[in-house]
Amino acid sequence: MKPPESDHQLFERLRAGREQAFVALYHKRQPALYRFALQMSGSAAVAEDITQEVFLALLRDECGYDPSRGTLVAYLFGIARKLLLRQYERRRSDVPVDTGAEEPGFAEPVDASDPLADLTARERVEALRRAVSSLPRRYREVVVLCDLEEVDYADAAAVLGCPIGTVRSRLHRARLMLAGKLRDERLGGASVPAWKAARCAI
Amino acid sequence: MNCEDYWNDSAGPWPEADFDAHLAACPSCAARYAAGRPVVAGLRLLAAGMKHVSAPPRVEAHLVRAYRERYSRRMPPQGEARRWWAAAAAVLLAAGALWIGARAPRPAQVAAAKAPVAAAAGVEEEDAAFIPLPNAAGSPQDDDVDLVRVQLPRSAITALGIPASDDGDAESVEAEVLVGPDGMARAVRFLN
Repeated sequence: MKPPESDHQLFERLRAGREQAFVALYHKRQPALYRFALQMSGSAAVAEDITQEVFLALLRDECGYDPSRGTLVAYLFGIARKLLLRQYERRRSDVPVDTGAEEPGFAEPVDASDPLADLTARERVEALRRAVSSLPRRYREVVVLCDLEEVDYADAAAVLGCPIGTVRSRLHRARLMLAGKLRDERLGGASVPAWKAARCAI
Repeated sequence: MNCEDYWNDSAGPWPEADFDAHLAACPSCAARYAAGRPVVAGLRLLAAGMKHVSAPPRVEAHLVRAYRERYSRRMPPQGEARRWWAAAAAVLLAAGALWIGARAPRPAQVAAAKAPVAAAAGVEEEDAAFIPLPNAAGSPQDDDVDLVRVQLPRSAITALGIPASDDGDAESVEAEVLVGPDGMARAVRFLN
């Protein structure tokens, strides 16, 4: 049986005018890109536009994809992210966005018990969905990329334009924030502010 | 690496191993890290629940239209390109046949040469009516060939060592040419 074509092979063939390769790449990568845009924007219309724009970018003469600089996955998510940032700038998204000044800290001492323990599976998912969408943008994007869409750290770092270590730190902080939000929701209280990490310039 | 480095998302490019080493050495950070773990399981549930979510079909339809517009300007569609290649191949075939005519081997030699050339050209033996072309030797074998009907001068038949009635060299005959995906004519079959 013929092994499935790699992203790069599909890219080469679509650029050579093979429509099937374009459609195959679209089917392979579109769902994750659409969900990323949806989670980040909170709007199906925006997610639809961004998914479309990402693939239209592949058709341009100077599409900017350079395999020596990263994978096609990183390139596609990178375009989606840039478009999302433009969206934020243009219309201030309808989901809570990072205002910078209200970055959450950590609740200390840390309660290591499962904040989702007494919820049903459906309640867990709903609670988490709300918690993820309320994260500041730079934490939300790393959770959506790495935890929800299973983009590896190296690709996520390329998408976000930061070192892999930063992705890891940010992801761990984001998970702690989610745990704090879920605990707060359960207890009906607000999280206790603790020390703040320095802001990332990216 | 200290605790602040571990959690500071603008920290320098620490190697992965430093993060693991710090977690192993620092109970406080290990406890914080552990507090985030239950969330990961919940996030997996959330991801599984969203697996079916994807862009609506109209996005694909729009993109395919855009793709066709974009690439139809740059190159003809594949089928059309093949027909152009086939026409060019037919012209080359006729010219080549005329050139070969002067040095044509005797019919017996042609028959002996047909079998290996046919195999190399990817022409099935049961397609006995097709005459493999010498330039097809070494071409990749594949089933993705096009059959194209063309008009050739009668002289092309004789040049390939096939007896033809002397109705006049100017008269053209109808032939079918097998054209590979590379645009090269692989074999020819004369219809009259």
